[in-house]
Amino acid sequence: MDRKLIKHPFYSIIYLSFVFFIIIPVIYTLGSAIFIDSSLLDNLQLFNYETFILLAKSCFIAFTIALLSTLFGSTLGFLIYKTNIIFRVFFKVSLLIPLLISPYILAVAWKDFFYLFFDNTSFISSTIGVILVLTTIFTPLSMLIIGSALSNIDSQLEESGFVITNFRSVILKIMLPLIKPALISSFVLVFIFSISEFSVPAFFGVKVFTTEIFTQFSAFYNHSLAILQSAMLIFICIFLLLSEKKHIANAPFLSVSGKGTNSRTYNLKKWNFLSKLFLFVWFFITIVFPFVILFIQSFKNGTTKFIQAFELLLPTFNNSIGLAFLGALIIVIVGFTAAYHSARQTHNKKIKSFDWFLLIVFAIPSTIFGISLIKFYNQPALDFIYSSYSILIIGYVGKFTFISAKLIENAIKQIPNSLDEAAQIQGIPFFTRQIKILIPLIMPTLFVAFIISFIFSLGELGTTIMLYPPGTEIMPIKVFTIMANAPQSLTSSMTLIVFLITLLLITSLYFLVKPFIKNYSNGYD
Amino acid sequence: MGMIEFKNIAHSYGTKPVLHDLTLDFKANQLTCLLGGSGCGKTTILRLIAGLEIPQTGHVIIEDKIVTKNKQILIPPNLRNIGFIFQDLALWPHFTVYKNIAFGLTERKLANQKDKEINIKDTVFKMLDFFDLREYADRYPHQLSGGQKQLAAISRSLVLKPKILLMDEPLANLDVKLKRKILEHIKNLKHNFDLTIIYVTHDHKEAFAIADEIVVLNDGKIEETGSVEQIKKSENTFVKYFLEY
Repeated sequence: MDRKLIKHPFYSIIYLSFVFFIIIPVIYTLGSAIFIDSSLLDNLQLFNYETFILLAKSCFIAFTIALLSTLFGSTLGFLIYKTNIIFRVFFKVSLLIPLLISPYILAVAWKDFFYLFFDNTSFISSTIGVILVLTTIFTPLSMLIIGSALSNIDSQLEESGFVITNFRSVILKIMLPLIKPALISSFVLVFIFSISEFSVPAFFGVKVFTTEIFTQFSAFYNHSLAILQSAMLIFICIFLLLSEKKHIANAPFLSVSGKGTNSRTYNLKKWNFLSKLFLFVWFFITIVFPFVILFIQSFKNGTTKFIQAFELLLPTFNNSIGLAFLGALIIVIVGFTAAYHSARQTHNKKIKSFDWFLLIVFAIPSTIFGISLIKFYNQPALDFIYSSYSILIIGYVGKFTFISAKLIENAIKQIPNSLDEAAQIQGIPFFTRQIKILIPLIMPTLFVAFIISFIFSLGELGTTIMLYPPGTEIMPIKVFTIMANAPQSLTSSMTLIVFLITLLLITSLYFLVKPFIKNYSNGYD
Repeated sequence: MGMIEFKNIAHSYGTKPVLHDLTLDFKANQLTCLLGGSGCGKTTILRLIAGLEIPQTGHVIIEDKIVTKNKQILIPPNLRNIGFIFQDLALWPHFTVYKNIAFGLTERKLANQKDKEINIKDTVFKMLDFFDLREYADRYPHQLSGGQKQLAAISRSLVLKPKILLMDEPLANLDVKLKRKILEHIKNLKHNFDLTIIYVTHDHKEAFAIADEIVVLNDGKIEETGSVEQIKKSENTFVKYFLEY
């Protein structure tokens, strides 16, 4: 059946479109910088001691964030996925919020805190500040990865350990080795995200490699140097990805409702109070606290600034929501196509290459991906893309299809192939089988993939700031450009509005999806 | 000549060979049991007949027509006039029992929409009545017992009036009492629906209870073929060993 499916024209159209619109621009940009640009040698000479120091600093920041996130993520993952701690379902969902909102929102909130209580933001506007804020943002990702791995440990493996040894040995010698791939995946992914992060260091005024690339590209118009610096960062990201390719490419943690195995949960006994305290403090610091601070800062002088912020943001709502909606729709279609073939034909080289393309573009820092698209599309023949919203949609699809594809792929893998084969034998055509059998069964996952893609596209700053056509009103761009010169309370008000809109959308979309998840709970998804 | 013929079929999954140069005939209107342990190639044979797998070498003939040859499917699964009962039954969980049975009929193109509706309803309810499932027509698969699911899966396959019914360990998850009841049903299917049945099992008691002919497989090769009595009296070392347990 392999060859028949791979020849399906719909798959080929999606595959070739992805290669043409997204992969070729990346290859073209890197290739032109290295092989065509005459200033390459000159630029190579600019790679001096300071460049490498900056790269080392970025690596150090990313390493520390990855380490801290994995450490906190393991603890939270264990408490939420492996113990009977109170409100675990609530925490399982709510602690993911920092991952779903734009990083700069939390950066603004923390800056507000220091501004409000110490009248001095130098502590937070530093390398330490970047590390702290990004740790609170990426710890939920580690929690998700490690928690999923912990809940997938078959209880019999732990119980057979308890028969011969104590709790500590079971943790260290049975559970830790079993979740080692998840720990490494967590570390590598957080490292890649941190070294690629643009908005938080930019907002705190901390010079890192991504902000330097942005400066070279946007302020000094030294495109070749920016691309060469980008190439270094891409090299680091891809090198790390390759080292952990199996676990990250499969991304088993990106699953909506994996059946998993018969997982064992622990009673915390004497650790109960401390564990609860830790969970509540974490929840308070990473979710409640930023919101409250933004609220105080926005309204400390009345409602004027809030109203002004709302008026400034109002023209961006339609554009931002519309673009995010369209982007999410295309992301889910491309993601479903890639996921279906990846789940059903694991040995096909063309499909493997699609998987890899999705993963590599996902790992490329947003600003650098944006530069690639600009370099490729900024020519007369492709101006209809460059000067329209299409380029933003292409950017969103490139950045976020990997997540959507992996979510959907893990759902499809839970649907036995025999359901499709039973229909195939009865003469049901391929598309009818997809629409009437497979899609209804994975509908909850498709909704979740849509929501996540929508929220990510709505808050995406790194790619958008590079790509937005002149005169376009986009929410994160508006906040980011006004941030530089406006009073702090106006920035806080704008950020609070974005935060509230994001939360409102997450909540309403969640309640929209919930009945679907319940209706299909007797299926396989 | 048989209803289904395998000519020098070899098949592997990746680098792991499953069937080695297999030549085999299945006679028309007989219930043939493929008997063997795990990984001996029983299910692969069914999937090759159905056209869900393409053999690396050899060809498959159904009713004198070559359906698979030289790594190519000449006649696709839906045109082979077969029914397939999967091991997990593969009942669509989001459809009711009625819809599960009617789905294949609904999707097949018929000229007149009105006639189509009447025919489908009529045909499905006849099938439900035959298997005493009418009262469960509006239930979903998860609301049925193991035996009812079994019968619903059989109904779904038979409603399209196939000439060949392929059954892949369909009773694997049932208790002894239910197994006996369903086995009685399966025995009668051959005559009631004019079927050639190929039944895969690893349980020789099941095979002895229903088979007209038994093919004992081991490691992708045929060890012995014959009637129930012939297999019981076989002197083949593997067959004797297999029947001991």
